[in-house]
Amino acid sequence: MKNRLRVLRAEHGWSQQALADKLGVSRQSVNAIETGKYDPSLPLAFRISECFGLPIEDIFLREEPSS
Amino acid sequence: MTCHPRSTPAFRRYMRRFLIATGLYIGTFMIGVRLVPDDAPPSPLYIGLALLPGLAILGWIWAMGRLLIEMEDEYLRMLEVRKFMIATAFALTISGVWGLLELYVTVPRLPVFMIFPLWCVGLAVGQIWNRVSGA
Repeated sequence: MKNRLRVLRAEHGWSQQALADKLGVSRQSVNAIETGKYDPSLPLAFRISECFGLPIEDIFLREEPSS
Repeated sequence: MTCHPRSTPAFRRYMRRFLIATGLYIGTFMIGVRLVPDDAPPSPLYIGLALLPGLAILGWIWAMGRLLIEMEDEYLRMLEVRKFMIATAFALTISGVWGLLELYVTVPRLPVFMIFPLWCVGLAVGQIWNRVSGA
C-alpha cells in the first residue's frame, strides 16, 4: 500500500526517529512503512492518523487493481 | 521507542530467560552424563534424568513464545515471526529430506535430538534473510 508518510513527516520537519517516538514504535518500523515494506495494523494506522491530524485515507492510498 | 530492538525490555527479559534455560540445560545434561551409565536400562530414574534437559528445551521455546507476546513493536515482531517461520522450514526440510535419504540409501543417521539445534541454525538463516531483504 502506498502512503504519504515521508512527505508528511518532511512537512512537519520530523526525523524518522522523532516520528517513531511520537508513535511509540521503532525507527525501523517508520522506515519500513515509508518504503512500503510493511503495512501497519489498523491501530497503528489510527495512531499515525492522529499524529498528523489527518484521516487515514489521506495518508494511506489505496492502490487500484490493474485491469 | 528510541532504542535498538535488542535493547527493548521484552528482549532483555527474553535474554534473561534464555540464559536461565541454558544454565538449566548444561546443568541437567552434565548430571545425566555423570549419573547415567552407558547402555543404561530404561528405569524410571534414568528416563527421568534423560528427560531433565528437555525441561530446558521447553524453557527455550517458552521464552521465544513470550518474546513474541511481549514485543510491543508490531513490525519487529513480524520480523521475528518471519525468522521463526524460516527456521521451521529449514529444520523440517533438512530433517525430512535426510529422512528420505536414510530410507533409500546408506547415510549417517540424523539423531532426532538434532532437530532443535537445526531449527536454531534456521533462526540464523532467518536473521540473515531479514538483513539481506533490507527489513
